Amino acid sequence: MNSQTMPSSSARQRANALFGLAGKTVLITGASKGIGLATAQLCASLGATLHLVARDEAALTDLQASLDGAGHVVHALDLVADNALKTLTAALPALDGVVHCAGRHGIIPVRMVQDAFLHEITTLNYHVPFLLTRNLLQKNLLNNGASLVFLSSISATTGTTGLAPYASTKAALLGMMRPLALEIARKKMRANALCPALVATAMIQDTLDDPERMAHFSKFYPFGLGKTRDIARACVFFLSDASAKITGTAFAIDGGVRAV
Amino acid sequence: MSAHDTTCATQAIDDFCLHDRRILVTGASSGIGQATASLLAELGATLVLAGGRDADKLEASRSALTGEGHLALAGDLLADDKALDQAILAAGPYDGLAWCAGAADLAPLRMASQKHLQHMLEINFLAPMRITQQLLYKKQLCEGASLVYVTTVGTWHCPAASAAYDSAKAALECAVRTLAAEGAPKIRANCIAPGFVKTPMLESLQAKGMQMEEIFQPLGMPETLDIAPSIAWLLSAASAWVTRTTLTVDSGISLPVRH
Repeated sequence: MNSQTMPSSSARQRANALFGLAGKTVLITGASKGIGLATAQLCASLGATLHLVARDEAALTDLQASLDGAGHVVHALDLVADNALKTLTAALPALDGVVHCAGRHGIIPVRMVQDAFLHEITTLNYHVPFLLTRNLLQKNLLNNGASLVFLSSISATTGTTGLAPYASTKAALLGMMRPLALEIARKKMRANALCPALVATAMIQDTLDDPERMAHFSKFYPFGLGKTRDIARACVFFLSDASAKITGTAFAIDGGVRAV
Repeated sequence: MSAHDTTCATQAIDDFCLHDRRILVTGASSGIGQATASLLAELGATLVLAGGRDADKLEASRSALTGEGHLALAGDLLADDKALDQAILAAGPYDGLAWCAGAADLAPLRMASQKHLQHMLEINFLAPMRITQQLLYKKQLCEGASLVYVTTVGTWHCPAASAAYDSAKAALECAVRTLAAEGAPKIRANCIAPGFVKTPMLESLQAKGMQMEEIFQPLGMPETLDIAPSIAWLLSAASAWVTRTTLTVDSGISLPVRH
């Protein structure tokens, strides 16, 4: 399906009207790496004005400079730090979309999990998107029709050894997203979650570096591991007007993985 | 990839376009199928509209499409119409399929006659299976083809009087998941599960007494043009890693229903 020719300008115009993000202001957390970075690049290419959040200020500034379009804003902060969410909320304009990408991973059996790790992963993966959403609603920072995209995981609905802490935070996001979708629907706002399987990012570097695990996984991924761009394009679909009547879904995007 | 690039250069939006794609669309005479055909053509696809007992209606859909080279193959998808099946195969190979043909009829189980069950199964399950099998067997699907089948949230919502329709669509969903497993990595296959959409099909059900008043649609009643973009996305390169799944497009009506 490698296209040899370009689309006509009218096809591009129609696609831009449907899937494009011109005129939309979008907040992306975890924007310095992986899925967040790819989503930022694609959203900017499609006309969105971005607010980018991550800890690494240098990486965010480099990204900001490389993005298409103008007016993108960097918010270099650690989302789990005291008052970080308050500071961020105070610095944001009204938004048309939010992509919650910030998150952490970790493979550890239940019997080995330490209190501090469980607390940290729950805070970043679950409390942060929950409380940031609450703040945006309280401060009326979501425009009518705004679309909220939560990065959940295939692990929220499947069983994989060692993933209890991560999987339960991602399942908690689904538990939050569904009632939220109903609560915000009267303003035509939408909330959806993406449930990707393994995407090749630094977050799962330990897996990528482990030939045994990779050999095991490759058998189950007929289309290979996901690329950050694949998830970015799904984020764009869910942010765009093309999905205006889609809300409350936990959408599987996993290359047809058979089991993990 | 800059928005300022000239039209000679690749743009980020191109992955969402359907230029150079030949797509088979069923059910294009009305409703979701007609709206989908219209959008796919606007996005640059060349279409083969197949199935439609009213040749004039199908031709009206075809002649209204943007672009050139679209075909209309009228005929009854149910009638074991060999001429129609052969015309579909002869018009391939295809880069995509949008299976929108379907019919819903209501009957509580105590009134569900063999004829009713058979009719629901034929149009909603056996017909898409037969055409898909033929496309595979006769090698009329290109490398990288994406197949999209319209089902319904009823496959797990399961409201009263829709057992025959919902279970036929559930059968289709199962088969599409198998198809996606067998077809990978050459082809992708997914379902779109709409809720209640403003279509002639829904209007005919309401005329027969289906009560819609108690059905709460959080984002309002979707129109056919709210469903078509999801089908377009699943047919496009912008969904390259999406296969073997169902995209629910239901305005949130299924949210209170457990899986």
